[in-house]
Amino acid sequence: MLHRTTYSYDADVGNSYGQAYVRPRPLPFQHVDACAVTITPTPGDLATGIDCYGNQSTYFQVSQPHRQLVVEATSDVEVVAELHGQEALATPWERARPLLDPTIPGAWSAAEFAVESELVQHSAGAREYAASSLRPGRALAEAATDLMHRVYADFHYDPEATTVTSTIGDVLEKRAGVCQDFAHLMLAGLRAHGVAARYVSGYLATDPPPGKERIFGADASHAWLAVWLPTPTGPGEWLALDPTNDQWVGERYVTVAWGRDYGDVPPVKGVIFTDAEKSTLDVQVDVAPVAGEGHCARAGEPGRVVGQDPAGMGKFST
Amino acid sequence: MTVLRDYVTASTQSHLGDSLVARYDEVVAPDGSLRAPWRPLAHLAGQLTERDLVRLDDDVTRFLADDGVSYARPGARRQPWKLDPVPLVLDPGTWSGLQTGLAQRAELLNAVLVDLYGAQSLLAEGIVPAPVVTAHAGYTRQVVRPPEVDPRPLVFTATDLARDGAGEWRVIGDRAQAPSGLGYAMENRRVVSRVLPELYREAGLHRMEPYFWALRSALLQSANGDLADPRVVVLTPGPHSETAYDQAFIASTLGFPLVEGNDLVVRDGWVYLRQPGYGRLERVDVILRRVDAAWTDPLALRGDSQLGVPGLVEAVRRGRVRMVNGLGSGVLDNPGLLPYLPAACEHLLGEPLLLESVDTWWCGDPDGLRRVLDDLERPGAPTVVRAIDGSTTELAGCSFAELLARITDEPHRYVGQRRLPFSQAPSWIGHRASAAPVTLRTFSLRYGGAYRPLIGGLANVYDERGTGLSTVSSKDVWVLKEDPADPDQGLADVLSMTAARSTPVIVPRVLEDFFWVGRYAERTEDLLRLLLVTHAVAEDYRTRPGSVGAASLDVLLGVLAHLAGRRHDDLEAEFRSLLLDDDRTGGVADSVARLRDALTGVRDQLSADTWRTFGVIERANQALLATPYSHQTADSAGRILTGILALHGVTAGMVRDPGWHMLGAGRMLERCQQLVRLLHASTVRRGLDVDRKVLEGVLAAAESGVTHRRRYRGWIRAGGVLDLLLLDVDNPRSLRFALTELGAHLRALPASTGSTRPERLVENLLSDLDELDIATLVAVGGEGRPHLVRLLDSIAPQLLRIGEAIEELHVRTGPPPRTFGQVALVDALPAEPAPGDLSELGDARGEAS
Repeated sequence: MLHRTTYSYDADVGNSYGQAYVRPRPLPFQHVDACAVTITPTPGDLATGIDCYGNQSTYFQVSQPHRQLVVEATSDVEVVAELHGQEALATPWERARPLLDPTIPGAWSAAEFAVESELVQHSAGAREYAASSLRPGRALAEAATDLMHRVYADFHYDPEATTVTSTIGDVLEKRAGVCQDFAHLMLAGLRAHGVAARYVSGYLATDPPPGKERIFGADASHAWLAVWLPTPTGPGEWLALDPTNDQWVGERYVTVAWGRDYGDVPPVKGVIFTDAEKSTLDVQVDVAPVAGEGHCARAGEPGRVVGQDPAGMGKFST
Repeated sequence: MTVLRDYVTASTQSHLGDSLVARYDEVVAPDGSLRAPWRPLAHLAGQLTERDLVRLDDDVTRFLADDGVSYARPGARRQPWKLDPVPLVLDPGTWSGLQTGLAQRAELLNAVLVDLYGAQSLLAEGIVPAPVVTAHAGYTRQVVRPPEVDPRPLVFTATDLARDGAGEWRVIGDRAQAPSGLGYAMENRRVVSRVLPELYREAGLHRMEPYFWALRSALLQSANGDLADPRVVVLTPGPHSETAYDQAFIASTLGFPLVEGNDLVVRDGWVYLRQPGYGRLERVDVILRRVDAAWTDPLALRGDSQLGVPGLVEAVRRGRVRMVNGLGSGVLDNPGLLPYLPAACEHLLGEPLLLESVDTWWCGDPDGLRRVLDDLERPGAPTVVRAIDGSTTELAGCSFAELLARITDEPHRYVGQRRLPFSQAPSWIGHRASAAPVTLRTFSLRYGGAYRPLIGGLANVYDERGTGLSTVSSKDVWVLKEDPADPDQGLADVLSMTAARSTPVIVPRVLEDFFWVGRYAERTEDLLRLLLVTHAVAEDYRTRPGSVGAASLDVLLGVLAHLAGRRHDDLEAEFRSLLLDDDRTGGVADSVARLRDALTGVRDQLSADTWRTFGVIERANQALLATPYSHQTADSAGRILTGILALHGVTAGMVRDPGWHMLGAGRMLERCQQLVRLLHASTVRRGLDVDRKVLEGVLAAAESGVTHRRRYRGWIRAGGVLDLLLLDVDNPRSLRFALTELGAHLRALPASTGSTRPERLVENLLSDLDELDIATLVAVGGEGRPHLVRLLDSIAPQLLRIGEAIEELHVRTGPPPRTFGQVALVDALPAEPAPGDLSELGDARGEAS
């Protein structure tokens, strides 16, 4: 796995502070063999910390003047598909609402994923849109999967449709967006009905088109969501769904970090001191699977990149 | 009848009469007798008449103005601080119960913080419902479970109390994010002790000074590790903050520098003060934080913050700097916690909670929600709804239906709180003594391992006329001593502040503020002198158009218009506008406001006398507003000038540090600029008599009339005037003198080398002056004096360049922080400029002023 983000500026940057979520997190279904983050120019200060959700965050400060900043993460990751208990999958969605039933085991820690967050506002539109999937008594896994199918069917993948400032309302209106928008939309729909769900940032391994050679950097950083399924004991399980590709998240997905929304776990964000007025951003992601086959990005839509933007809300296509 | 007796009579009658509000009275018991704390004061307080109170109120207003005490409500303009002359008096018995309760509460709140940002047992065990915390804006995820845990995140906290109908004190809220008010409390004490000296002496109350010593000591001891000499700073959002006065008061009283986000820089995970020029960085160990956590770091927290320091959260997480209070403490400013504190107290401290809160229900709890909704339907709605984030404006103006919709939509974001009647105390509102509701803000400090409440506090006075309660004033809080021999604040052992070190810190922003203090003070002074001269000429001649006087008046008015535009044809209206209209750029009020802003930025380094200037100016303005006659214009302008001259006197007493030199540099540079503009008046020739009148005015406006008279015996000629104002080495108002002074100030600044650009520019200009020949300058050609015009036109841009160069070298700290995305993203960058193309280096990049 390689993820390289390059910022270029039209004037010197004297001092640059950054925070990156680019290290895949060790998980029961994801083994991280090796991971390295390299910043160029060499930062005066580079540290890895664990945030409140257990994600690995990288902090860096580059204090030498530079016109180009490169954040490069490489890692070897082994992933297996996560398994879920039938009982958890069958839980009716009404019985998986942590705010309404705080006595469910683990509800207390799931609760913050059931309330509004800055980028996931519970618009009436999102609530209504989700309502037809959340039929009374329906199993949460089934309802969420149905919602995922509908988002896939109703919404068009179009990086031009949304911008940095787009809201869930805009996405609903345009019926288009990128993976981040689809994840946020599903989060809003589910949370508006009291269900807990979190935003997940990571990568999806793609294959080159048949007969073509692998092109370096054609992949993209990706985003999806995970829904909280309570269990009789313990903190519960999280069912990960990818509305962009209409499938449950499996062994082709590398999980990097999760949070309430994109703003909690942007791949790279930063603050700079500069007189520069223009910058360019180049993102390259390459996920090279050791073995396996399968579906890549949505047919007919090559590389998509969910990008990094300081305000934590940007998206860029390559 | 005296005020106190009136009050007793009135309140007894209301006790008997209407029972609309059963309100505890702080002074009078239901049977009409005085309450315990007032009994020993009765013989003195009982003599106060209404006339006395009018005088006291005037004195209070004047003292507060002289001290420059102000407060700005969120989104509103800065207003004078309001203080009621009658203190809230509490007896030692009442206080000791409160004191124990407050100490326990602070200890509990600290333990709550430690738990919420660590083990989270309160949440996991359901003692506090998780959304009360995780859906609260003050919950700072970035410091949850940091590698270095702060064991004492709560150093200083404030708790607001009010009495219920039975007279019991109840907590109405906690302020732990960045508690304000201690400075106001101390200022209230200063003023009240001055206006009521006999009562103050007689009362035997706890003085406040030792508490400040303890606060200072507590902050020094907050530093991580074992530092011999930790550096403490007070982080402020800046002079436009609501409680800027309070912040500066604390900083200057404690002797810690008042800094803004841009004064600090994080390097290698440590926090440093920026130093002007190339001085070394000085490390900061403790930050008394008056900036809300969300705004303290644009990297980890709000990216749109210009008040923070990128990397600060990382430094905090690594335990390299201590925040007071801890970054996540804002989660305690949360009425949603109130219903759960008794259980939390049992859980964390193993003891019952002593101070009861006002009855509060969290709407996220179904029972609580039902209770609140029921109450809202009842007549008179005994319950108020508040957002747990405490954003008071959020629900203002909400209709009942909207309110219901919001609560049912997101019940976890709201609480219902039973209204408390509050207690009432005699207050001087609207020139009348009446019973007004009061609340009490208390403060607790962790000192020597335990929490100590301030014995005293800050009372808020409310006006209940109109729709709701609104704060109208404050009161000093007197807690009487049990025994006159008791040590003040129970702190016999604290080191007095005089034994402590205090090194002023000069960061570039402070130098910039001093520079503009110098410039605006001089600008105001020069403008006032010109205005006074012009006004006098106008008074003499305005009824005689076409006379010599009228023509010279035109010339002087032209100079004024050049400085501040022209607003009114009517001269009197124009003069008043120049003095009073603060929206008139270049006018007196505008310059005074800017001067005040610049001074506020360095308030911690200034003598308290500084603010008398503004008291004087305010009173001069009031007098002008009250009197429509033109003599008042001259009188008020003269008084404002007196205020500005007094400021020069105050700054003359400053220590000769870089701040003082920067002030001097600003003043001298401004003097040069004003002089050059003024001299333009003498470039046009309108006949001998008119010219003489104009030159007379120029001399007076440049404060050189007396010198000129002594030297030339009243014989006014252009040559003599120009020599005195341009070249004279002994006249402090001459261009040469001011430039020489400017050069000396610049040389004394830390970034100067003797050959820096500002120093070179000043030298160049001075050597140009050496070449001048007065005879050539006064030479007449056509309608005017072309050589003089050319000279002035060449000097003006040089002065501008000097100003820019000074800011560039001594003040500029580089561009402001921007997030990656705030730099416009383009598809491709333009080609690099060829190496060696340095043409752009010549342009100084001026900061907006």
